[in-house]
Amino acid sequence: MKKRGLWFGTAALVFAWSCAAQNADQNPSAAAKQGEQVFAKSCATGYCHGVRGGPGGAPRLAARGFETAYINNTVTNGIAGSGMRSFATALSRTDLAAVVAYVASLNDAADPNVGPDAGTSQSSGPALTGQAARGAQLFREAVRGFGRCSTCHQVAGFGIPVAAPIAQVPGAVAALKALATPNVKTGIMDGESMPVLVLRDGKQATLFYDLTSSPPVQRNAQPGSVKFNDGSNWRHSSTIGAYDDSELAAILAYLRAVTKLL
Amino acid sequence: MMSNMRFWLVLFTVSSALAQDAGATHADWLHYGGTQYSWRYSALDQINTSNVKALTPAWIFQTGDYAENLQSTPIVQDGVLYLITARAHVFALNAATGTEIWNYRFPEPARSVPGFVGNRGVAVGDGKVFFGTKDDYLVALDQKTGRLLWKVSMDDARQCGCNITAAPLVVKDKVLVGGTGGDSAHRGYITALNTRNGRLAWRWYVIPAPGEKGNETWRGDSWRFGGGAPWLTGSYDPALNLVYWGTGNAAADFYDADRVPAGADKSKDINLYTASVVALDADTGKLRWHHQEVHDDQWDYDSAYEVLLMDREIRGRMRQILVHMNKSGMTSVLDRTTGELLSVFSVPEVRNWVSGITEDGKLVGRNEPQVGKTTTICPSAAGAKSWNSMAYSPLTGFIYVPVNEVCEDITPNSARPEEGQMYFNGAFPSHLPPGRTTYSHVDAWDPVTGKRAWSMPYKYLLLASMLTTAGGLVFTGNPEGEFFALDAKSGDKLWSYQTGAGHRGSAAAYAVNGRQYIATSTGWHGSIVGAVAQSMFPDQDWRIGSTLVVFSLPETAR
Repeated sequence: MKKRGLWFGTAALVFAWSCAAQNADQNPSAAAKQGEQVFAKSCATGYCHGVRGGPGGAPRLAARGFETAYINNTVTNGIAGSGMRSFATALSRTDLAAVVAYVASLNDAADPNVGPDAGTSQSSGPALTGQAARGAQLFREAVRGFGRCSTCHQVAGFGIPVAAPIAQVPGAVAALKALATPNVKTGIMDGESMPVLVLRDGKQATLFYDLTSSPPVQRNAQPGSVKFNDGSNWRHSSTIGAYDDSELAAILAYLRAVTKLL
Repeated sequence: MMSNMRFWLVLFTVSSALAQDAGATHADWLHYGGTQYSWRYSALDQINTSNVKALTPAWIFQTGDYAENLQSTPIVQDGVLYLITARAHVFALNAATGTEIWNYRFPEPARSVPGFVGNRGVAVGDGKVFFGTKDDYLVALDQKTGRLLWKVSMDDARQCGCNITAAPLVVKDKVLVGGTGGDSAHRGYITALNTRNGRLAWRWYVIPAPGEKGNETWRGDSWRFGGGAPWLTGSYDPALNLVYWGTGNAAADFYDADRVPAGADKSKDINLYTASVVALDADTGKLRWHHQEVHDDQWDYDSAYEVLLMDREIRGRMRQILVHMNKSGMTSVLDRTTGELLSVFSVPEVRNWVSGITEDGKLVGRNEPQVGKTTTICPSAAGAKSWNSMAYSPLTGFIYVPVNEVCEDITPNSARPEEGQMYFNGAFPSHLPPGRTTYSHVDAWDPVTGKRAWSMPYKYLLLASMLTTAGGLVFTGNPEGEFFALDAKSGDKLWSYQTGAGHRGSAAAYAVNGRQYIATSTGWHGSIVGAVAQSMFPDQDWRIGSTLVVFSLPETAR
């Protein structure tokens, strides 16, 4: 199966989706193809998951690091205490297997939770040279602590997928610094206001990342206990201070190179 | 009634004699080490030397998670017992009956996440239950319901080659946790998060960055991958507001040429702050003082183990001290206000890594592994003591230590580091020292005099923690499945019970409605040091498991 999902790179919280969706169309296996249709019909409906595994009333499923066994168990048995029901009887055995394969494909199925180059070598990554190779190193450089990009972005199997996969790589450092982040909202909880990235805001659960400080805190609040307003005072530019401009340029070169390797 | 009176009498004696009782637990067992002083000592004495032979199981809890052994120390608060399994299944149980109140299963990390499956305990505080995971999350659950409240990624395990297996430590409004990775190309750290919202309070890196004091003890950029991971749980002194933690070995474990500056004096600090005990300001994580136990460690002798805080009279003067043992069994007694070394002693009977250790902690006759050669070293990297904790009783003044006598043949190599990958640089098959019939012993040592008071030999290895109580007892378990009680004064075995599976865990004592319980995790598994132990006794088939067995006295015996 062609690996996907995280493939097309990473860069900012925002542009997430559209790309993941396009990417999912490339050479899917027969089962995953069938699963895509089952998913559209049975999962991306109503208040549940978004199209092609995107966020909806239920959480995002793409690029979450889910393993096939976990997906199979969840689809078969549901998750107690949540809106996720069991599909053991609702779907035929073939459809169930197909939808598991599809969701697995959205999670880089063949080597779950690891990006496209995982099968090559963790240390070498994709065949990159020059500035892009330097950018690959900078992107996840441990010395930067929680200031490194991989604190919030997963690319090529490295990093924590707080942000959705990067759909568009900014053309220049200035554009990266001026990046709009419409997905970041303002959450108000117990009278405290904080920048948040909402994963789910439904009747069963309210799940979001608190972006007040780095690393982000994934919080699971009582439904209805957090009010989310559009817009925030959070700026992507405030999170990249661990890098100078030439380093940021190298990181962008890396992200462009990774995207081209698709 | 009698036992209650005795309980208070003992309490009074302890506090007046030692002017402190902060290290003892009572009805609750609130921290990994009992209290933040890490004594693993309970002031409960309903179960004591005169009635321990009547001790019998009160209830048993099977966790159902048999992927690994059960190492965790149960935590007890207000009649509820909290237990975590190797794969981070967390249970809240009625501590008197074992009835489940709630459970929570952390999603199992993908198989591509490298490292150790294992978990040594939860922490409780601020109405929450905290634990770490294989994929490096620190997680907070609602203590009443088990509902997930927040989780924070401490690192990317695929990159750092590190995991969280240690129990966190709650200190005021913060939860502190270390991680593994001391044998990987990794740079260890301790992280403090705010208990309320999971936001970062501070992170202290074991290895200083360029420009920070101590970085000059590293060659070139070796500091980036120099290990030092503090992979167990520290202690806390509220009066001094200092957190004490032991740090891991320098990496590469058995090869130092890439990390030691040219011409370094091996009688002085090298590769700071690995193989050290450190004191950090609890509010800021700033280093207050350090004491390095092994300069330029080349034997994988972590100092990551527990730190026991106590007040003792030394040379006619009451001192606030800490007692700390490293993996070689070298035990340091420090003034915990300043880090001043007061004395050192070594516990294993078979030792050749040094020919001696001076009173001021200097290593004499270092027997260093050489590239291209095989060197027999005792004790082995499995440890004169493994991670399993010792205990301290203020009644006897002794520390109770499970000591193993194991050697190894180290053949180092000069491989270069690759981030997050194993960075041992050497094979080190373990073997039993010749001329012995027993290969471990439970010891009682007086940390002030550095003298061994008694020793109870055992034929295999001992890899479970110690518990001691005001009932004059010392409890631990062995790989054959026996959980047993020794007389704290003499080491005489007073009672034992076959729990059905080998012991790698940690016992705790607590009380509910006036009834005292002793809870022990049971369950062997042939991994890491367990595998080392099994390789040396291939005809033994110690049983796996993952069960909490809880003992108490029948009504008639109380």
